[in-house]
Amino acid sequence: MTAVRPYIEFAKVAFSREATYRFEVFTSIGSLLVRVYLFRMVWTALYFHNAGIRALTLEEAITYSTVALLMSLVMDIDQTQLLVSKLEDGSIATDFMKPINVPFYFFSDGTGEVTFHAFTIIPSLLLALLIVHIQVPDPVVLAVFFLSFFLGYLVGLLMNFVLNCIAFWTLEIQAMQLIVTWITDLLGGEVIPLVFFPPVIQSFIYILPFAAMYSTPLLIYVGVIGPDEYVRALLVQVVWIAIFTVGAVLMWRFGSRRVVVQGG
Amino acid sequence: MPIIETRGLRKVFRSVQRYPGVGGALRGLFSREYIDKVAVEDVNLTMEAGELVGYIGPNGAGKSTTIKMLTGILVPTSGEIHVAGLVPYQKRKENARNIGVVFGQRSQLYWDLPLRESFELLRAIYAVPRAKYDANMAFFSEILDLDEFMTTPVRQLSLGQRMRGDFAAAMLHDPPIVYLDEPTIGLDVVAKEAIRTFIAKVNEERGTTVILTTHDLADVERLCNRIVLIDDGRIVFDGELERLRMEYGTHRTLVVTLAEPCDDMTFPHTELVEQEANVVHLRFDRRKITAEHLLRLVTERCTISDVSIVEPEMEDIIRRIYLEGYRTQAPTPAS
Repeated sequence: MTAVRPYIEFAKVAFSREATYRFEVFTSIGSLLVRVYLFRMVWTALYFHNAGIRALTLEEAITYSTVALLMSLVMDIDQTQLLVSKLEDGSIATDFMKPINVPFYFFSDGTGEVTFHAFTIIPSLLLALLIVHIQVPDPVVLAVFFLSFFLGYLVGLLMNFVLNCIAFWTLEIQAMQLIVTWITDLLGGEVIPLVFFPPVIQSFIYILPFAAMYSTPLLIYVGVIGPDEYVRALLVQVVWIAIFTVGAVLMWRFGSRRVVVQGG
Repeated sequence: MPIIETRGLRKVFRSVQRYPGVGGALRGLFSREYIDKVAVEDVNLTMEAGELVGYIGPNGAGKSTTIKMLTGILVPTSGEIHVAGLVPYQKRKENARNIGVVFGQRSQLYWDLPLRESFELLRAIYAVPRAKYDANMAFFSEILDLDEFMTTPVRQLSLGQRMRGDFAAAMLHDPPIVYLDEPTIGLDVVAKEAIRTFIAKVNEERGTTVILTTHDLADVERLCNRIVLIDDGRIVFDGELERLRMEYGTHRTLVVTLAEPCDDMTFPHTELVEQEANVVHLRFDRRKITAEHLLRLVTERCTISDVSIVEPEMEDIIRRIYLEGYRTQAPTPAS
């Protein structure tokens, strides 16, 4: 029990730290609502002029985008970003001098942060319902969606951690992170449902980890991935989690051995 | 058995060769030439439990690198380290329980939290029993006057307050070994004195082993019997402070006030270092010429109204070693 205590404390500290940035909470909810509205407009216009899109109905597309935006409140937080900033300013030294598992410290801190932001989903959802109407699937589908959302979250978390570990070698990874963000935005299914891509490209992008983050839970939500495909879809997510876990362990093991403490 | 032991410790930092200017920056993108910088070379350090050692040297000499290897943050390029029977970089977490660290330039307190909550968090990290924690806090508060800013967020503390907080944070779990890396840097006289008292007390009453790196030699003179001098990555002196003074403080300065002008001020084994109006500073090698002999030579030639002898300051001794490098042989007098 004593072994877990410090990590619970780290999470609590991060939670209350996030709570002090009230203005940021309001602006993030505000900008989310703007985007919910914009997506409604865009899909409505596109469907009006393009009767050909039938992979999703208009209502499904709007539901898809709104749920994606709500997910992003949690998904877009890079939990392990702290590692990079600590490598940059050298303050990682003080973490290494404590009897703690340093990656677990980053994860706990991130979990506290994410837990706080997860709470903002509820008011955001209620406010979004004033702008759009979204479909609610039956409880079983909803349960599978939440499971898949959680797995997708872990894929993103571990992938980011692996990327952030590159900073052990390069000390800065901003440009690369930007590229990965763009690719994730495009191929992750957050903005454009992957079912809208040409079939040839679809079969290729479903294998990539990006689809395991947003697309899989969302397609489960809107019913494109049906019950007979649940096992396969979740398994792909689990495989990515396994791959990135191995990657994370290796990156940490080799990276942390070459810590260069900046400044003093 | 020594509590800290290093043998042939070496650390090399590798960095990419950089070239000046825009062209150089572009060239640096494609060429991967590395420069190896030896930060620490063949450092052999042995410390017994309860010792308080001053680890001094100029900037970039390798002090912090040594400390970081002792904490387990940095992995040595070669050589052996044992701290309380553990190899720090292999058993980083176990080692962390045995040590407390204070970096003058960097705080281990949590920036957003009030000081008290930082301590509570550390209590959880080190699993310090409540009674022990309360006793320690009482002890620290008394010497360090923590009470007045316990509820202030760390980012609002003054440097002196933050350092006092950092000391308490480092000692909360009763570490048998403490590394203090320039803990008095930038502090005012009062804060320095509080910190020194604290270090002395912890060392005496708890038998804590302390390595103190500092640029303020008053810290060393006040606290340490033994000093280890590192320069350019190598240990150049390891012994009692007094021995360093004896071996290297070979020069005294005779200050004479002339009653009337006196032209020729050249004397054997003596250097005229300063002359201001009628006050003359003569630096002499006391192994080659006694003060009494020199004074006699001076009075034979000039009429003087006052005389005094200045002992070498620790500061000067160290400065000379930095500038000239330490030689184990008798240093030649500057001519």
